[in-house]
Amino acid sequence: MLVLLEVFKAIKEKNLETKKIINEANAQAEKIKKEAEKKALSLYEEAYELTLSQAEQKAKELKRKAAKEAERELSEILSHGDEQAKEIATKARKNFEKAVNAVLNEILQ
Amino acid sequence: MMESLRVITETILQEAKKSAESIIQEAQESVEAMLEKQRQLGIQRANELIPSILKKAESEAGFNKLSIMANAKIKANWAVLSEKERWIAAVLNEAKNMLRIFTQSKEYLPILEKLIAEACIILGGEELEVLLNEHDSTLQLELDKLAKEIGEKNGSKTKLRLSEEKIEVIGGAVVATMNGKVVMDNTFDDIIRRREKDLRFKIAKILFE
Repeated sequence: MLVLLEVFKAIKEKNLETKKIINEANAQAEKIKKEAEKKALSLYEEAYELTLSQAEQKAKELKRKAAKEAERELSEILSHGDEQAKEIATKARKNFEKAVNAVLNEILQ
Repeated sequence: MMESLRVITETILQEAKKSAESIIQEAQESVEAMLEKQRQLGIQRANELIPSILKKAESEAGFNKLSIMANAKIKANWAVLSEKERWIAAVLNEAKNMLRIFTQSKEYLPILEKLIAEACIILGGEELEVLLNEHDSTLQLELDKLAKEIGEKNGSKTKLRLSEEKIEVIGGAVVATMNGKVVMDNTFDDIIRRREKDLRFKIAKILFE
């Protein structure tokens, strides 16, 4: 009978010990969850910011390419303008005297 | 008996430890899943904004390009127009220089008389004053003869007087009534000024066609 009592006592003690282990595990699990909750917001923001920053980089690249293309077309337009100006000068040089005479005729007629 | 008891209690303890490990592992797994979900949510929210960011960038890029192109075209047109303007101005300047040279020739005198006569006819004759530049004032103008001719054309007696006042012009004359109230400017300078629009058009046509 005494032995049986000893057995029950030992089992009870172990039960208490297991309860303590489980409680501690629950507490640790709770702590892990709470810490994660704090981390969750910053993780959300980091992912959000990173994705947006990649998109903005892409947008910048798009603008840069368009500007480069515009720069190329700009130099074509300006060069065409220069060519036109040269053609004008060539024609004007050739017809200069004729134009001066025409003015003189107009004034003196 | 005691050995059996030790086995039982040890088993209970081991199982408790396993349960504890399992609780912690589950918590960690659940947390990792939750964090991954949050990360994905952040990406998803940002992804929702990407089309509008890219559309805005495309629209800005397009606008900037158009603006650069428009400025370039204006600049190119300006270069062409400036060149034309430079040549037109050069022709007008050269014509003025030629007129200055012409006023030194003997062919100039009849032209000057013609300019004076035209101005007098416009003013309707009678008593008029003729203003010339320093050089033209020294020319042998027959003002009385001219007045007679003008009078014949006008049908009214015309009298011309050379003014002592000298004008700063290339050539030609300013004719005024004696009271100075009506003035007719028939100098080369004013003729060019009056006809400048038409002259520029004609010059451009000759120069650039």
